[in-house]
Amino acid sequence: MSHDAARKRRPALAHLIWWFLFAQGGVIAAILIPVHVLVQGILGPLGIVPVADRHYDTWIRLLGNPLVKLYLLVLIALPFFHFAHRLRYLLVDLGVPAARTLPAQAVFYGGAVVVTLVTIWVLVTTAPLAFG
Amino acid sequence: MVKAGAESSSPSSAPRVFKPQMARGWWLRQRHYFLYIVREFTAVPLALWLLWLLYEIQRASTGPKGYYPPSSPAFVVFSVIVLGFALYHSYTFLSLAGVIINIKLFDKPIPSRVIVLSQFAAWFVASAVIAAVLIGFAR
Repeated sequence: MSHDAARKRRPALAHLIWWFLFAQGGVIAAILIPVHVLVQGILGPLGIVPVADRHYDTWIRLLGNPLVKLYLLVLIALPFFHFAHRLRYLLVDLGVPAARTLPAQAVFYGGAVVVTLVTIWVLVTTAPLAFG
Repeated sequence: MVKAGAESSSPSSAPRVFKPQMARGWWLRQRHYFLYIVREFTAVPLALWLLWLLYEIQRASTGPKGYYPPSSPAFVVFSVIVLGFALYHSYTFLSLAGVIINIKLFDKPIPSRVIVLSQFAAWFVASAVIAAVLIGFAR
């Protein structure tokens, strides 16, 4: 009984963080990704509409904006915490119990952290900050 | 208190652990199971497309001469497939919000239908703004 009480008192911080990232990543992916795929992946390459990433100068101008950099970090990095969680449990559901283990958690959530760091590096090194 | 299954938990024997047995192709048996797996699988194409976007951003660092935007039919086909999965993720995830989010306004819970509608409205507005920026900043 005292053991249970002690467990209850300790907040599940790790759960809170991973669940928060999972939920937010899911929302970000749901609300932001489809229009990027439609405009940059289909309409732009087919030449149906002009898109900023079709020309170097317009693309680099957009990428130099600090708000755009921040937005792209959220757009690219956050969904990977959602993906990590989903794919780990997808493997469990498909009969890979090893996906529950601590090393698997390190690989999947660590992978999301790596993507976040790489994204920060790319955004910082790609276009110099330009205001306006 | 009555202990269920007391006969099997004598001190000498290890506690029996329930191990669910799932047949290999369980998710192919029912449409609902299949759609659930498709929903979880949407993470793979979405992750691939975001990694491509990151690559597209990185390539801009090579300067104006090294920058060629993708225009191959294969890339468009890839994007069309990804868009299908992306829309399915959006539809399922935003619909779930009605179950997950519980907000009370003046002591009355907001109907889940209203919450789902607000999520879809947010999706629509965000999409319009992003498309306007991507197209508006082009030449």
